[in-house]
Amino acid sequence: MLLKRFNRTQRLSHLFLMLTFLIQSGTGFGRLFITTDFGRSLCKIFGGYEAAIVIHFWVGILMMTGFTVHIVYLIKRIKRRDLVNSVMGPDSLVPGPQDAQHLFQRILWTMGMGSPPKLDRWAYWEKFDYWAVFWGLPLLAVTGVMLKFPLLTTQVLPGWTLNIAALLHRAEAILAASFIFIVHFFIGHIRPLSFPMNEAMFSGSVHLEEAMQEKPLWVERLKQEGKLEMMKAERPALWYRALYFVFGYSALGFGLYILINGIVYGRFIQLH
Amino acid sequence: MTEVILHKPFARLRFTRGARIWTVAIVLALSAVFIPAVWAQKEVTSKTYRSREREKSTGRYEQYEAKPRLYQPHIRDPRPRAELITLAPTAEKVRFRKYLADSHVGLRFYERRTCVSCHPQQARSLHAVRAKITCRQCHGDEPIAGNSHYNSLMHKRRKYAFVCAKCHKGSSPSFATYRIHEPSPLSLTTQKTFPVLFYAFWFMVVLAVGTFAAFIPHTLSWGLREFLPPTFRLEIRRYLPGKKKNNAAD
Repeated sequence: MLLKRFNRTQRLSHLFLMLTFLIQSGTGFGRLFITTDFGRSLCKIFGGYEAAIVIHFWVGILMMTGFTVHIVYLIKRIKRRDLVNSVMGPDSLVPGPQDAQHLFQRILWTMGMGSPPKLDRWAYWEKFDYWAVFWGLPLLAVTGVMLKFPLLTTQVLPGWTLNIAALLHRAEAILAASFIFIVHFFIGHIRPLSFPMNEAMFSGSVHLEEAMQEKPLWVERLKQEGKLEMMKAERPALWYRALYFVFGYSALGFGLYILINGIVYGRFIQLH
Repeated sequence: MTEVILHKPFARLRFTRGARIWTVAIVLALSAVFIPAVWAQKEVTSKTYRSREREKSTGRYEQYEAKPRLYQPHIRDPRPRAELITLAPTAEKVRFRKYLADSHVGLRFYERRTCVSCHPQQARSLHAVRAKITCRQCHGDEPIAGNSHYNSLMHKRRKYAFVCAKCHKGSSPSFATYRIHEPSPLSLTTQKTFPVLFYAFWFMVVLAVGTFAAFIPHTLSWGLREFLPPTFRLEIRRYLPGKKKNNAAD
């Protein structure tokens, strides 16, 4: 039996973020590493050094538009009559004290002490992934616009703020990309229970057995509320599975290509 | 008829083999003298011509540009008079040259040095690495005045107009406060010279190190743990002092 986990809007949001993030990584790292073979080959994919910045800028605008639309979507999802439960309840991504407890339980469990944490709909690492975008994107957007329009920026701010903007833009981009390509990819693809791929974000559903193992509180809550039957989902078509496997692994390969080359050629660049 | 008349005087001439060789040799020798002279009839001097030719071919300025003028420039600030004498290399480092009309005056073997041989860090700026901007394009010709000398194009009062605006049209004095040659944020002296850069850098380092120090061991140990059976338990009590081993349980 399959349980519905993500609706179509959520999956499209993830796909949008995934595509824009990969393009931004390719163009951004291509320019950052332009003095190396890696950077030149990466820029070549996007039409060269100058074309890469044009793509980087417009995809950045698109990304921020998507981010704004997502915030509007979030505001619309808040139920005013049930505000506390809507914001802090088990279906919310807002972190709570139970997340710290779950993290502690996870650490103990990995060391062979105790049982794994009984998670509800959203796990603590999923919440971290989600909220990391909220600090990363505005920071990258503000510093990116400052660097794109230096003359306008320096009409209101001193010129040395551009030095800070360049440093923050690069450092945050490296941090975000490294986190996604190491931690997010490992949890989503590599760890034994997810291998070869956690399909939930593409198919929108998870196996009931898997959900009971990873999110037992969520399944239990659905049973108590009598929503389990309503949450039944259809198995995705074979062609669709094949499509998202190819797409997912292409993204994984591209990310690893950037990550490995970034480590190899890291000594040739500077953050400031 | 015309042809015959013209060739008549030459028809009587008979060149020996040696004469032919000498004629060719003289013509070649004259060519060697006069033809380059004709080629050199440009509107610029040969030195400038060579300079431009090299610029065109490589897009970079080379060592010959670092040569100072033959005469000593007039130095307005009375304080650094001692600079006129040739200094020892160690003494050169501690001299205060930013008010000099020629900031390199008195340096030993200056003619034979390039800018980056003494200022290697300055060549790592974004302007140099990305835009291939050379030192001279901003700092100007010899003698290169110190940045605080009133003659210098790099003086903060006019830098935005005479230097920055060459590429960034519409630049302002505020724009010119961008630090092209940024100090290394790792250096402790940066804490005093550019504290915001220093603290911004270390903030990002702490953020990155903190994130990865928490998540990488967590994620890797989680992945490894999933290889073990779900019933795996580390019976830690067994190893604590004062506890007896339960052989039956083993």
